Amino acid sequence: MRRRLPLPIVVLAALGAVLVVLPVVALAVRAPWGRFLETLTGPGARTALRLSLEVSVTATVLSVVFGVPLAWVLARARFRGRSILRAMVVLPVVLPPVVAGVGLLAALGRRGLFGGWLDRTLGIQLTFTTAGAIVAATFVSMPLVILAAEAGFRATDVRYEQAAAVLGARPGYAWRRVVLPMVAPQLAAGAALAWARALGEFGATITFAGNLQGRTQTIPLAVFQRLQTDPEGAIALSMVLVIVSIAVLVALRHRITGGAA
Amino acid sequence: MKRLAILALASVLIAGCSSSAGGSGRSTTELTVFAASSLVAAFTQLGADFQDVHPDVKVVFNFGSSTDLANQISSEGTADVFASASGSAMDVVAKEPGVRDRADFATNHLVIITPSDNPAHVVSLDSLTSPMAIVIGAEGVPVGDYTRQMLDAQGIEHAVLTNVVSNEPDDASIVAKVQSGEVDAGIVYTSDIPITAGDLHAVEIPARFNITATYPIAVVTGSEHPSEAHAFLKFVLGDHGQVVLDSHGFGPPPG
Repeated sequence: MRRRLPLPIVVLAALGAVLVVLPVVALAVRAPWGRFLETLTGPGARTALRLSLEVSVTATVLSVVFGVPLAWVLARARFRGRSILRAMVVLPVVLPPVVAGVGLLAALGRRGLFGGWLDRTLGIQLTFTTAGAIVAATFVSMPLVILAAEAGFRATDVRYEQAAAVLGARPGYAWRRVVLPMVAPQLAAGAALAWARALGEFGATITFAGNLQGRTQTIPLAVFQRLQTDPEGAIALSMVLVIVSIAVLVALRHRITGGAA
Repeated sequence: MKRLAILALASVLIAGCSSSAGGSGRSTTELTVFAASSLVAAFTQLGADFQDVHPDVKVVFNFGSSTDLANQISSEGTADVFASASGSAMDVVAKEPGVRDRADFATNHLVIITPSDNPAHVVSLDSLTSPMAIVIGAEGVPVGDYTRQMLDAQGIEHAVLTNVVSNEPDDASIVAKVQSGEVDAGIVYTSDIPITAGDLHAVEIPARFNITATYPIAVVTGSEHPSEAHAFLKFVLGDHGQVVLDSHGFGPPPG
């Protein structure tokens, strides 16, 4: 039986939906669709798209590789300063991206706290390189994986992990067969959001890694630059980003809503 | 010292505002000025000085890349005055929604900046063709277009662009990247230097190689405060305005 929805809730929901959907619809209306294919296949756009995919996928993988163990530590281990650590690792979500970029420069730049050592002893320079763009994207997107995975760990009973250990499972085996499968839905959701965040990253990237075609100029940076000379082309290029993002988010919708939809 | 002066000025202004509000109950006019980001220091000072002379006007600035600002004004038309770092950005606004009293008020030149220890030993434009990390303005941003124009005239555009590690959105971010020592050199306007001279080394570019950036200012058609906007224009073009602009590294308008 269909349930009647309370009117005030429906009105608020509709307003919320309009606020979020309207700018994207407006972009689609303004986009020069006649030039769309030409824009998409132009050399600058193709390079930027390829780089965007490379950077965002790598950043997502790194976010999972480092973020999941960190989330597990935050959920399971008891140690001094845990709540401070949790606040710190989630900070990039609320930090203005430009500030994140300045922080990355201060830490990993050529004259940064740690970057000077990296450069002198290992010959690794992150600023103005694709690796730097990946670091910037990872910095802003890993918290989303951590938040999702930690919620997952907290929602699952620690006794499953203990039982696996008691039954003689080695840590590696227990992680593969018990720990990870239990948080898989939350993890997939977190990874999808992290990927989306990495794909749209602008401020930290341009501040830390700069803006150079083929090296650090991802789609958002290319959109920004094209806005200076060709606003219509910029809109066409941003539609590429919108379409790719919607495609992936729709494909992952079951994961993101935790399998309820 | 400078900070103290600003603080003192600010407190005087605040005191001035509250006393005038309490005294006569006179309403203040908000004058919105869109200005190129290279004008931040000069116009912030001019705005404060203008308010001293016109206590009933509050000058509100929106600083940004001239091209971005021009596009914003064309689509939103929320500015009373537009001060641009290039004629072409002003042309955009002149077309839509239109401008009045357009006049050139300053000129600017390009200069090479390096970190204070000049790690790549830059002494001239030609030095920039040796291997090093350089940042310049992005294409379409006035400082970036002027830079390319100048390099092209010297026949070294390709060689220098090979060393460019980033095309920056505005002069302030070029200065910031050079200041931080992340790159060996950058090209900005001379007006970007005095504010931050401490940790920067400037390498001047001789006039015969340099280009002249001319800054136009105008009242935007549709401004709700045309007389205040016109007064601000006259203030910038007047003696005091020119002295302040000069102290911030700008040259006089051409002609």
